[in-house]
Amino acid sequence: MRSLPVADPGTPDTRSAARYLWWLASHQSRTIGFGMFFGITWMLTAALMPMVIGKAIDAGITTRDTTALAQWAGAFLLLGLVQAGSGIMRHRNAVFNWMSANFRTVQAVVRHANRLGATLPKRLATGEVVAIGAADTSHIGNALDISARGSAAVVSLITVTVILLTASVKLGLVVLLGVPVQMAVVSLLIKPLHRRQQAYRDQQGTLTGRAVDIVAGLRVLRGIGGEQVFADRYREQSQELRAAGIRAARIDSLLEAIQVLMPGLFLALVTWLGARLAVTGEIQPGELASFYGYAAFLIMPLRTLAELLEKLTRGHVSAGRVLQVLRLEPEITGPAAPRELPAHGVLADAKSGLTLRPGVLTVLAADRPEDAIEIADRLGRYAEGEVTLGGVPLAEATRDEVRARILVADNNARLFSGPLREELDPAGHGDEARLTAALHAASAEEIVDALPGGLDAFVAERGREFSGGQQQRLRLARALVADPPILILVEPTSAVDAHTEARIAGRLGEARQGRTTLVAATSPLLLDRADHVVYVEDGKVAAEGTHRELLAAEPGYRAVVTRSVE
Amino acid sequence: MRVQLPVADAPAVRRYARRLTRRHTGPLFRVVALHGLAALAGLVTPFLLGRLIGAIEHGTTVSAVDGIAVALVVFVLVQAVLTRFAAFSSANLGERVLAELREEFVDRVLAIPLSTVERAGTGDLVTRTSRDVAQLSHSVRRGVPESLIAAVTLILTAGALIWLSPLLALPCLVGAPIIIGGARWYLRRAPKAYLRENAASSEVIDGLTETFDGARTTEALRTGARRIARTDHDLHEQYLAERGTLGLRTVFWPVVEVGFVLPVVATLFLGGWFYIQGWAELAQVVTAVFYVQQLVEPIDRLLGWADELQVGATSLARLLGVAEVGDDRTPGDARPDSERLTASDVRYAYTQGRDVLHGVDLTIAPGERLAMVGPSGAGKSTLGRLLAGIDGPRTGTVAVGGAPLVELPLEELRGHVALVTQEHHVFLGTLRDNLALAKPSADDAEIRRALAAVDALDWVDDLPAGLATEVGSGKHEVSPAQAQQLALARLVLADPHTLVLDEATSLIDPRAARHLERSLAAVLDGRTVVAIAHRLFSAHDADRVAVVEDGRIIELGPHDDLVAADGSYAALWRSWQS
Repeated sequence: MRSLPVADPGTPDTRSAARYLWWLASHQSRTIGFGMFFGITWMLTAALMPMVIGKAIDAGITTRDTTALAQWAGAFLLLGLVQAGSGIMRHRNAVFNWMSANFRTVQAVVRHANRLGATLPKRLATGEVVAIGAADTSHIGNALDISARGSAAVVSLITVTVILLTASVKLGLVVLLGVPVQMAVVSLLIKPLHRRQQAYRDQQGTLTGRAVDIVAGLRVLRGIGGEQVFADRYREQSQELRAAGIRAARIDSLLEAIQVLMPGLFLALVTWLGARLAVTGEIQPGELASFYGYAAFLIMPLRTLAELLEKLTRGHVSAGRVLQVLRLEPEITGPAAPRELPAHGVLADAKSGLTLRPGVLTVLAADRPEDAIEIADRLGRYAEGEVTLGGVPLAEATRDEVRARILVADNNARLFSGPLREELDPAGHGDEARLTAALHAASAEEIVDALPGGLDAFVAERGREFSGGQQQRLRLARALVADPPILILVEPTSAVDAHTEARIAGRLGEARQGRTTLVAATSPLLLDRADHVVYVEDGKVAAEGTHRELLAAEPGYRAVVTRSVE
Repeated sequence: MRVQLPVADAPAVRRYARRLTRRHTGPLFRVVALHGLAALAGLVTPFLLGRLIGAIEHGTTVSAVDGIAVALVVFVLVQAVLTRFAAFSSANLGERVLAELREEFVDRVLAIPLSTVERAGTGDLVTRTSRDVAQLSHSVRRGVPESLIAAVTLILTAGALIWLSPLLALPCLVGAPIIIGGARWYLRRAPKAYLRENAASSEVIDGLTETFDGARTTEALRTGARRIARTDHDLHEQYLAERGTLGLRTVFWPVVEVGFVLPVVATLFLGGWFYIQGWAELAQVVTAVFYVQQLVEPIDRLLGWADELQVGATSLARLLGVAEVGDDRTPGDARPDSERLTASDVRYAYTQGRDVLHGVDLTIAPGERLAMVGPSGAGKSTLGRLLAGIDGPRTGTVAVGGAPLVELPLEELRGHVALVTQEHHVFLGTLRDNLALAKPSADDAEIRRALAAVDALDWVDDLPAGLATEVGSGKHEVSPAQAQQLALARLVLADPHTLVLDEATSLIDPRAARHLERSLAAVLDGRTVVAIAHRLFSAHDADRVAVVEDGRIIELGPHDDLVAADGSYAALWRSWQS
């Protein structure tokens, strides 16, 4: 079995869901072929077993021929062994098909998510995304997995029908008509059942959500009360779910009964017709046993056929959902003929009138926090704007080059799970000294010291084991390790205590020595340590200078800064 | 510092299962009886086939054949009807048991001691609530009934075979050692391998969620290659885990298949030979061959569910374990005679021998507003939790009106002191629900007053549905700052005499926070407030400031006094005020 996943998943065909599934299939045609081959072998051996039993009865038992009996019993054993061998080979190929399609889809989605970048969270709710990971990739895998058994079901249905047709036209016709009738009756019930099962699953999801909600807010509930209200509400929903389960069971039990009834009647009909033929001597008693065996066997391919239809449908729907992601296009794209950005130069935003002098630590205090965020987004080219670096518009450079020059680190940035060292230095270019220096500047050493394993400790998803302030300091350290030529920090100390903020303010300048830095903040601790302060009012630069100059000369600035002090 | 929640041991799980069985004896009996009867009806078909073949061998008439055919149809109908009722009653029972299990679990969760909640965090509990409850649902709704049906069918089919002819039942025993040996081998290995497989696939999903969630960060830091590497690594882990279970099945399945086919071959051959010897009827042989074939399905089902049920039992153990957390408070008789909060010579350690508080003494007068400042890691939050009565000190006492806080019953404690931390939570439900949980009797006017006290009334009124707006995950999104306002409004409604606020406004914009704290102070006039603050204006506004460093209170007094004393607080204040 080839190791998975493949290094390069290729470029998916996003024209339609069917084409997407076909694209997946074309990458695993070998295992699909093998799966079909072994699947057909496996199911045909099962289809032929009744025939061998009949022969054993007719040629061995009723004629009292021990040798013939032994031969046919041996033939049965051989069929059994072939069935066991081909069954497991079929399964192995099917599992590989499932994984291959599933993994390729995950890979394609992740690679596309990277291309989309900042556009993705804006366009897609997290819930939809989780659904893709939790269900859709698996459904797509199932659609390819079922190829092995599905093709086997079709081939064995045809084989058994032909066998019966040759024995008796009447019996053959019973199968030819009986199969679609059974499929039709089952499919009549399947729809309402699926609907109720879906309703059940939805309600189950809601109930789980309710329970998780209680757990997540347990501190509050245990701290100030309300447990009884929540327990009652949960109980109520739990009983509703129970009722929904019973509603689904009403149809489900009916379906189970039908699945006993239809094949049972079919079996009785075949046996009856066969027995009449046997009475008149047209067939041997053993052949009657075979007919009975065929009729009993047909349950398997019939169920598989129903499964095939269901899995193909679900796979198609899931492929459609995956395509919704794969078809998204990034909002910010590079130009056709990109220009190179100059190595140094002033970064200027036309709309606000802000200019960032190279090598200087500038702090931007805006009267409205949203304005600071908008300016940072324009400067980092997360939003369209007339921004130039050394006179060259950012819009004329590739997105990647802009990202290489300018790093915007805001409070919506995420910590990813993994060893802390890799998280702080994802590019892996920093040495130990650089890490230590960045942690020092972000006043984050004690966080690392407290971790078992220090820098090698594992960070949980979203860094949720860290408090808000700790996350903020670690994110700051990460931005400092990245050491971009231009660093834009948005409210980097909003969640840390005054002592720590004072320390960070004192160390930031040194850490960014010779580099261009913009900090959006209104804390006097940071403003006082800046080389240069810009005051933004209504989204436009209103005044510039040092903190003290502005405090003295600019009443608006003083109001913004001291609103939090006096 | 995370503590793990306990997991119930095997005897406890068995005891629970027995108790559950006793509680539902009647319905369980009905389910087993109905399934048994349905299985019996199903056993008639091969028997009648045998009779048919026997009759044909001896020569019979078309009308006799027609008679048997009618009997066939009748039994099929009976089996179908019985199956309908059996399936329905077992689903009914399953849903009932499942509802009981999950409701009891939530009750247990809601009774977890406060200190455990604060210390264990909610990660483990969330896993138990979502993953383990789901796993158990699957087992209870499908696994248990299907195994039960399979067991009943298996026993009845074997019984029918012996009843038919004990001699003809003998050949099928050749399969038993193979299947039993194979199953033992497989079941010893399967649960671990499948757990690994589940964990690996969750890891892929988590990674995918992270990739989507952090797409902007990935773009900013240009770490797309790292996400790809992480995904491919996770997928490879899943591949290895799948290979692991596939390897087990590659051995187990063929072994079992051989175990299934050998009895049929043996019954066919030996049965035929018995017939030739005159020891058995042809009808018996034919019926026996089909009975042996019918044994395959229930055994297959039992084997299929066995490992799943083992996993289900593990989940049950984790759910039951939650009840094993010992109660953390032993209520004493002492009741507070005032609202004076005192801490005397308080020491506290998370790990033995490493005190994080070193003999703290503090007396807070009723109605006083005390601000605690200090660098992170100094022990402010720990002291706050002791002052709120969540944990008891290692040595020394924390008491309100002379009564130690940890000896107050929880209900009583809540009336005296409450803690709000920066970790906030918005519950699923309306805004009104979210607030009224602190005081179920509160009317809208009271709730609105509480919202006004935390500056939240404006944005709440701006919502289309106002207080009736549905919030929480997936509903109207409330910003972290608004969530903190809601947490504070809850506290206003709960109205304890003493409030401990641990950075309770840290996520609110500094400029708005100042205003909020002032309006809150107006409402809380006369209440004792201990505020752990990371912004100096909170300290400036307080009656007294306590500077905590290295587990000690190094400066304590009114703002102006501390500034005049020219110590560590004064230095910080000056740099802030510049």
